[in-house]
Amino acid sequence: MKDSVPAKSTGHIKTRDGLTIGLMMFPAVLMLLVCSVYPFLWVFRYICYDYNGMTAYFTGARNFVRLFEDTAFWASVGHTFEYAALKLVFILPLALVMAVLMQQKIMGSGIFRVIYFMPTIISSAIAALVFSFIFAAYNGVLNAVLRATGIIKQNINWLGDPSFAMWAVLILAIWGGFGNYMIYFMSGLSSVPGDVYESAMIDGSSGLHTFIHITLPMLSPMLKTILMLAITTAFKDYESIMVLTTGGPNNRTMVMFLYIYRLLFGSNQNNPSIGYACVLSIVAAVIVGIVTGIYLLLARKLDDVM
Amino acid sequence: MAKEKTVRGSSGAVVSTSGRVARGLLFVFMLIVGLLTLYPVLYVLFGSFKENAELLVGGINLFPKVWSVDNFVEAWQQADFSTYTMNSVVIAVGVMLLSLFVTSMAGYVLDRRKFPGRALIYGTFMAFMFINVGSVSLRPLFELAISLHMNTSLFSVIFISAAGGQATYIFLIMSYMKSVPKELDEAATIDGCTFFQTFYKIILPLLRPILATVALLSFRGGWNEYIMPLVFTMTEPSKRPLTVGVNMLKNSGDGAAAWNIMFAGAVIAIVPILLIYIVASRYFIDGLTGGAVKG
Repeated sequence: MKDSVPAKSTGHIKTRDGLTIGLMMFPAVLMLLVCSVYPFLWVFRYICYDYNGMTAYFTGARNFVRLFEDTAFWASVGHTFEYAALKLVFILPLALVMAVLMQQKIMGSGIFRVIYFMPTIISSAIAALVFSFIFAAYNGVLNAVLRATGIIKQNINWLGDPSFAMWAVLILAIWGGFGNYMIYFMSGLSSVPGDVYESAMIDGSSGLHTFIHITLPMLSPMLKTILMLAITTAFKDYESIMVLTTGGPNNRTMVMFLYIYRLLFGSNQNNPSIGYACVLSIVAAVIVGIVTGIYLLLARKLDDVM
Repeated sequence: MAKEKTVRGSSGAVVSTSGRVARGLLFVFMLIVGLLTLYPVLYVLFGSFKENAELLVGGINLFPKVWSVDNFVEAWQQADFSTYTMNSVVIAVGVMLLSLFVTSMAGYVLDRRKFPGRALIYGTFMAFMFINVGSVSLRPLFELAISLHMNTSLFSVIFISAAGGQATYIFLIMSYMKSVPKELDEAATIDGCTFFQTFYKIILPLLRPILATVALLSFRGGWNEYIMPLVFTMTEPSKRPLTVGVNMLKNSGDGAAAWNIMFAGAVIAIVPILLIYIVASRYFIDGLTGGAVKG
């Protein structure tokens, strides 16, 4: 860690400067300790308790037994993987294609860039609310358009039918996120020196050929970072799902962090089950950690091949 | 020189007819994606001027049959949206000011000074960008706020929201500091400036562009915050921001009857941040790549 931080010292620290430094760092460190470190340590405090927000009973290993018997949780883990995989499969190619198109300096690309990035500015809770209107089964505009164009004859219950709800969630996720990754890709593409393209053109390389054999490999260091960001973000998404489907229907779109949220703050049906939620949070963090680790390993392997 | 020009000319296949057709097709594709991206926003924007009866029937019309501002009047006067809006403004401005205050100092000190614990602090910031225990961290913070009697105070919401964003902003400022010559600090010290004076009088004015980015990003962060204020205002409806207030209507049972109010509420929540974005889109877009992805 030390090595990655460039030494910027302008010499030894005078006592008065030391005090100033301490005071200037204090608010940031306080916020870090209170809002990141303390909650992290707190999670471990209740893992062996049944805690409902008022009283805590020691239950030994019962939370862990419950973990293995909790099929609803493991189903939510499955949904998280399904959601993350599908989101990445759609959003990354789309974002990359749009980024490459942006580079072609086609008419209006400045305005398009602003439009594509716009959804990321809007609160995901509000966006999800708007999409719940769009997806509404009887008076929603999506069904109305599909009916008017003759694609469907009967209304699809997007948010109430288990076979469509995940797609509704994904459409929202793609709408809300592709502009974000497009900007990442654009910043990666702009670091590919222009003369590389010129020499490729001199060699008579076609557009697609240039893209596959020159752009992608040159992009790969950046691609790795972007992919990692995309993976970890996709696993953590739950705010918009919470608003759009509340995990339903029939838990079909219940992702693991939403499942944990409901245990923590309760829903109408159940009391908070905080100790158990702490155990699940650790499990969820470990799952994300393992996925990231596997990804990094694969990325390194790929590096050796390429 | 002349040779280079001919190369450029021949490589610019874009001028040829087939190239022009291809570019035209690409433009159409971009236009379609752009319209699909814009559609939900236009839909809710124009829908908010429709009468509830029209909203409940649905249909594919984008524009209202009858334009009416009743939804906004009703939302503002009867559905507490004036309170929600005020709370959103307080949270967003609060998060912005607190973020600017905290991260400008921390970013400067972390970039310019070596002090005991520096690596630990930097490392902890980095670590918590990756460690994520999700919503569970809201529970201890909520209980801490209760024990401090601050569980219904908007300051708690502001503090936690600013804390959530600060690592990104500190890294943004640190990477911007690399472009500020260290000689400036040294000259100021020689001229008799204390460490803090150097920061306040010399560095801070130079940081203005990156601070603008931090201000906009943190304002957006506070304005769009949902789950955390939802938890903190569970028992205190008068402290709810727009995001929470609008969504409460959705879950309140008579959801269908309140479509018009929710449309108006969603528009009130979207339009201010959208206007800021239209004016300052460059800062939002640059802020994303300035510090977040450093290959």
